Amino acid sequence: MKNPMETPPPLTEHDAFLVRLGRVCIDGFEGGRALSSLFLRTLWFTFRGSRPKGATAHEAFEIGNKSLGFLALTMGFIGMILVYQSAVQLGRLVPDYTMVGANYGELLVRELGPTIGALMLATRVGAGMAAELASMVVTEQVDALRLCAADPVDFLVVPRFLASLVMTLMVVVLSSAFAYGTGAVTAFIAFDVRFDVFANLSLIDFGDVMTGLAKCVAYGAAIPICSCHCGLEAYGGSAGVGRATTAAVVLSSLAIIVLNFFISAGAFLVGL
Amino acid sequence: MPALYPRKTPSARRERESYTQCVITLAWPPQAADHTDPPGVAVTIPRTPNLVIRLESLGVRLVDRRRGDRRWVLHGLDVTVPRGCVYGLIGPGAAGKSVLLKALAGLLPIEEGVVAVEEVNVAAASALELEQLRRRLGMAFQNNALFDHLTVAENIAFPLRRLFTPTEDEVREKIAERLACVTLPGFEGRMPPGLSGGQKKRVAFARATITKPPILLLDEPAAGLDPVTSQRLFDLIRKDVKASGATCVVVSSDLDRLLPICDRVGVLVHGELLFDGTVEDAKRSSDARVYQFVNGLPDGPL
Amino acid sequence: MAHSDSPSLVRRLGAGTVETAATIGAMLALLGRILARATPKRFDRRELVRHLEFMAIESLPIVIVTALFTGAIVVIQATPVVQRFGAEGLLGWGAGFGVLREIGPLLTALMISGRVGANNTADLGTMVVTEQVDGLRALAIDPLEYLVVPRFFGLVTTLTLMTVFSDLLALFGAAIAGQALIGLSMHGFYNGIAGGLIQFKDVAHGLIKSVAFGLIVALSSCHFGLATSGGAPGVGRSVKASVVTSAAGIFALDYFLSFVVP
Repeated sequence: MKNPMETPPPLTEHDAFLVRLGRVCIDGFEGGRALSSLFLRTLWFTFRGSRPKGATAHEAFEIGNKSLGFLALTMGFIGMILVYQSAVQLGRLVPDYTMVGANYGELLVRELGPTIGALMLATRVGAGMAAELASMVVTEQVDALRLCAADPVDFLVVPRFLASLVMTLMVVVLSSAFAYGTGAVTAFIAFDVRFDVFANLSLIDFGDVMTGLAKCVAYGAAIPICSCHCGLEAYGGSAGVGRATTAAVVLSSLAIIVLNFFISAGAFLVGL
Repeated sequence: MPALYPRKTPSARRERESYTQCVITLAWPPQAADHTDPPGVAVTIPRTPNLVIRLESLGVRLVDRRRGDRRWVLHGLDVTVPRGCVYGLIGPGAAGKSVLLKALAGLLPIEEGVVAVEEVNVAAASALELEQLRRRLGMAFQNNALFDHLTVAENIAFPLRRLFTPTEDEVREKIAERLACVTLPGFEGRMPPGLSGGQKKRVAFARATITKPPILLLDEPAAGLDPVTSQRLFDLIRKDVKASGATCVVVSSDLDRLLPICDRVGVLVHGELLFDGTVEDAKRSSDARVYQFVNGLPDGPL
Repeated sequence: MAHSDSPSLVRRLGAGTVETAATIGAMLALLGRILARATPKRFDRRELVRHLEFMAIESLPIVIVTALFTGAIVVIQATPVVQRFGAEGLLGWGAGFGVLREIGPLLTALMISGRVGANNTADLGTMVVTEQVDGLRALAIDPLEYLVVPRFFGLVTTLTLMTVFSDLLALFGAAIAGQALIGLSMHGFYNGIAGGLIQFKDVAHGLIKSVAFGLIVALSSCHFGLATSGGAPGVGRSVKASVVTSAAGIFALDYFLSFVVP
């Protein structure tokens, strides 16, 4: 029998491809399992944990207040761009700009506000969470926590999860309102649409609001889970922290795009 | 093939507890059937009052991230540490020293064998048992592992607050006592990122010893320090450990300073314990690798 | 600690402005130094090809997923609007317009910024904190020429190529979604795209933008990578700063280019 301490012989080209293919599948499966396990443990500790008071408020400040400026900046730009582009597009068909504001408002509530806002949050907040947690892992702070009977999920993930659930909604609503404002200003300056004509909310119905809310909640849950997963899985010094942070941005952005598709399709199919 | 670990009923387990020693016939390399049994389920921990730490046939397998598979880091390891002993664990890099310490603290999944720390089998302990064990265990990490967002005082008090329910006065008193012991009085309000390397190491030591643990695990307590600071730290460790009567396992690559404070020493090379005995015996060891390593010779089998 | 004695709002705003200006200035200076080193004689084509290969392969899976899903979402969101006008033939036109001019370049840039740009920062940052960059300097190798120039051009090229690729994939995803959701045949969908309302200048508009996005992503990722300090936590902070700056830069540039480029 082989000594298990020995390194196995190097693989041939053909083997290497199969091994890589197999590894991609196994990694994908393992990743999905680890993510769902982290999600379940987070939910468990949300109700049963013994984390210090104030941690959630601190994270909420980090996630919400500190991202608001960045979100307002990017959403403000996207508001101006979209109103301009869609009005130009509309102008090629029928030069009637009265419904631009109504359509823009509906789109903002059900799609753009939550999704673009959450993508920006994934960039800023996701990267921050993963960087913090990965640094704690590679400097053995997470081991020290476990040694003191403080579960890392309870101590580190749950506050971020709760804070993100609440603050994603808050920040998205505020920055969407800002984007609506910049859109209105653009429409007024570039296409002479009066503010009272632009501010037409007649197209926004219950279904739009519900879809937007569902998206906010789903993204708010997905960003901390994906990012904390990447952070806690980090290994190997400063290179590991970099890898984890990169992976967190990619994973949370992908999660948002995939969730967006399923929620949008679901809402479309049930006719919301 | 007969099961190596027959499942025992509670009554059978009590019966076995009277035995002074527990014989484990574990073949190395492990047979395929070994993996089907949960590690160490049926193994009882015998009463051995003079031994605090006993490892028997310990096997730890970790994921090698670069290759993507799991490899044995430690295997077939038998170590015993008597009560009140300062045990120096030495060996070349990547020998598994830090992994062994983490296994003792129950921070790693243990696949095989017995890790008996104060009669708790860490390899098969429940969450409650682990928590109870950790109340009697202090550990200082290689990278200090000080929480950056907490002050020095909060860092030191962290294990005390989490594992016990002390009053605020007690906490303050103990922090002051520990800081005085590591010659950092008045550092309560400082933040760890603003400390020097030696100060961080001393704070980490203070945090490991705040609960006055009977078992102390120190991973590279003086890595990266200048000789003077390093010597002072080792003297401090020796004095403090002897005063509290704790059993201490120290990992360090600074042999010149580590060996004088040790009662016993173990040489770990590539996951195997080559030597276990007193420091004098180690220096005169007949094993060429141990002799070379302990005496720091450049030429030899290592 | 900076936050313990919190300075006044004016002071913080001023400090923020100065810092932003300093970052922009440093990035422009970096651009100048990169361009000065991009002469054909000094250009390392092998390194560029190596980086290009790596970056493209790295980002392929996420670009595919993003593009297909985004195309589908555009259709899902455009369908109610188009149905309101009663002109389902316009769906292809609407989706094509949105994808080619705006959504395609924007989302591809955001994803590449997360995947390749962040990776770039992490790599460079790790090399800085482990003193590999100093090691290069000691060997009289210019770190900018050896490390940054190939990455910079590799990233700009990758992003532009990936935008073309993801435009096509997103339109494909949109066509599938249109067929599945409102029963519009693929043929009808492509009629909408090719029916003359979408011109070459719309495609060019998107591609010009993607080059600009590539520039900002490459610059910010290289800048923050090289400016890393403070061990493992420093690398994490750099990556975060890099992706945040890239995203803000992408949106700001998108806004200005939407007006400037026809």
